[in-house]
Amino acid sequence: MSGSEPVPAVPAVPGVVAPATPPVVDASELSSLVGQSLRTEELVVNMGPQHPSTHGVLRVVIKTDGEVVTALQPHIGNLHRCAEKIGESLPYYQWLPYVDRMDYLAAINNEHGACLAIERLGGIVVPERAEYVRLILAEVQRVASHIFAMGVYGLDIGAITPFLHTFRERERGLDLLDHIAGGRLLYHVVRIGGVKRDLSPEWIDECHAFLDAVERRLPEYNALLLDNHIFQERTCGIGVITGKQAVAWGVTGPALRASGVDWDCRRDAPYGIYDRFPFEVPVAPSGLAGTVGDCFHRHWVRFKEVEQSISIVRRALRALPPGEIMAKLPKTFKPPKGEVFVRVENPRGELAYYAVSEGAEKPWRMRCRGPSFSNIAVVTEIAPGTLIADLVALMGSLDIVLGEVDR
Amino acid sequence: MSEPAATPSAPAPAAPADPVTALAARKLRAALGAAVLEVVETGRHPYVRVAPGAIVAAATLVRDDPELAMDCCHLVTGVDWPAKTPADGPGELEVVYHLVSYARRPAAEVLRSKVKSDNFLALKVRVPRDKPEVPSVMGVWVGADWHERETWDLLGVRFTGRPPLRRILLPEDWPGHPLRKDWEYPVEYHGIPIIPPEGR
Amino acid sequence: MSPSADDLYDPELQQSVLLTKVEWVKDWGRRNALWPMAFGLACCAMEMMATAATKYDLDRFGSGVFRASPRQSDLMIVAGTVTHKMAPRVRRLYDQMPDPKYAIAMGACVIGGGPYSRFGYHVVQGVDLVIPVDIYVPGCPPRPEALIDAIRKLQERIRVRGGKSLPPEDHLKNRERILAMSAS
Repeated sequence: MSGSEPVPAVPAVPGVVAPATPPVVDASELSSLVGQSLRTEELVVNMGPQHPSTHGVLRVVIKTDGEVVTALQPHIGNLHRCAEKIGESLPYYQWLPYVDRMDYLAAINNEHGACLAIERLGGIVVPERAEYVRLILAEVQRVASHIFAMGVYGLDIGAITPFLHTFRERERGLDLLDHIAGGRLLYHVVRIGGVKRDLSPEWIDECHAFLDAVERRLPEYNALLLDNHIFQERTCGIGVITGKQAVAWGVTGPALRASGVDWDCRRDAPYGIYDRFPFEVPVAPSGLAGTVGDCFHRHWVRFKEVEQSISIVRRALRALPPGEIMAKLPKTFKPPKGEVFVRVENPRGELAYYAVSEGAEKPWRMRCRGPSFSNIAVVTEIAPGTLIADLVALMGSLDIVLGEVDR
Repeated sequence: MSEPAATPSAPAPAAPADPVTALAARKLRAALGAAVLEVVETGRHPYVRVAPGAIVAAATLVRDDPELAMDCCHLVTGVDWPAKTPADGPGELEVVYHLVSYARRPAAEVLRSKVKSDNFLALKVRVPRDKPEVPSVMGVWVGADWHERETWDLLGVRFTGRPPLRRILLPEDWPGHPLRKDWEYPVEYHGIPIIPPEGR
Repeated sequence: MSPSADDLYDPELQQSVLLTKVEWVKDWGRRNALWPMAFGLACCAMEMMATAATKYDLDRFGSGVFRASPRQSDLMIVAGTVTHKMAPRVRRLYDQMPDPKYAIAMGACVIGGGPYSRFGYHVVQGVDLVIPVDIYVPGCPPRPEALIDAIRKLQERIRVRGGKSLPPEDHLKNRERILAMSAS
């Protein structure tokens, strides 16, 4: 820390040899001296699997030159829970709880996709009201998941306050889903052929109150994060993923839209009854702070999607038709021989299921594509050249859930 | 309101051909000829099956063709099809590529048809189970890298012409490929006992 | 006749001095300042975070100081499925914690493999095959109230049985039990 110019009056401390007065040199000579005396070396640093910013058990091996990341390799699989093997080993009905646990922050969206795939395989028609209940629950889950992601992203880059604020509203959302499903995190409420429980009038009132509360708090989150100068300094221009890179790597969801690609499965490949609720797909505009495709825009897209989801849920709650919530199903469900590929929009991106049936009670092959799996792969291309601290910001902004990376 | 177990998605007598797959099949046939082995244009899951050696050419074609513009390799899956009886030979491993396009908007009729609301294209490849070698499409879509590694890890499909395949989900010294139908549960892994499914 | 405390100290001193054992004071400190490690594996970690966050506020029980380093923590909440790939790292993290240390197995997966125990080839059928476990919290995932209850039970255990951690080889007896089960 001592400056280059000698300090004349150094108080003599007994036993400490006063530093020799450095020779007076001009700047050019000094820089050459620095080059000679400092030895630089590339260091391989291991980040994770126990690291507070890796969102679980991701291990990233980083090659660094000082603070700059020169290369990195994510190592996944620390949470590989064999969901596909279990899918092959159990009847269709019994696989659904495992789907919840893949993306444990968006269990309903996962169930929705899996049920769509299995229903399409078996040709089951879901009652009208069940479709509405599914959509409402899925969007409430998306709101809860997104505000969780926003708060935790603040935590990743060093702000603990947004975490505490967003958890307050998230807890209300979880209570809401708890009242309908009986579990706080993993629900198993969307079933093949419909939903398990119906929405009561009290629940609908409660849901409106929750949506109002979130909407009221959104400016507060905004003030804490998006409008926060420190947040902007940490995220603007950091970890820029261009639209082309995003598509080539299979990045989907908010991260894809933050890169300027206008695509949302709910609008462009509609499933369920999403085609009845037109909504605005937030795509990163170029007028914001930072560069299109950076961490700031990913956060911005998530923030805007919460607003859209709130509007969808409100309209769906108003239009909720009466009727059955469960189709009549046989006790042993054996879909005909065939295969199906379904993709749905999960809060993290496009979740896809590929199921192969051989006409038996158990599927022949159950394949699930977790959106985070492809979203995290892109860091191998994006991260080199950033600082280690920015790598944390980059990985946090992708909002990965290791449960579906490893499945 | 609730018609019990109606089957609207089962192929109707005059099932409409999937426009994306039909177009791709026509173009692939024109370019690759006999390497296109099987085309299914109707039903819930239309696909084009090509010879293993032609997969890279087929992938490049569907990516670069402006009408198809399949710019994203969404999913690579392996499916194990062991032989029913030993006399049938070694059996086959199937690799399925699900491709989607972000550059091209889906056609209105595709969106309307509830049968298949996505505009994906499925390419398939079948290789013998004892010599499962498929050329890698990593050069076409860089995002296929991890999917191929996962297919190698869980099913043992060897992708060639790419950086060395390493396991991605399981530890490097894991015995076998678990999603093969004849895989057996290990008894112990590094001193930690495993109770097999029958014991639970 | 042995002198009592009343004989030895003047009344003024008795107002301000408490006679006790050093061990008791240490355990009192240990149980009321359990520092958990910020170590989340899967779904249960979300509930662990919720326990520490706004509504449930683990700080009320003196254990909300989540440390990112095992060297600074004395409670490992194993929250989420332990896989074979992760098991050596869990053990290493446990070994890196200073004594006395405690472990809570949170959730069905950690207790015995949970829903994955049957077909999940890559899931360790109980973290007690890897590390010694003090308290088990059932549930999939356990609610935050259950985790708070577990921490209260751990505090009670330290109060009653003293603050010694379990022997580091405690998990081996579970291994023998499982091996006997697979043999039969």
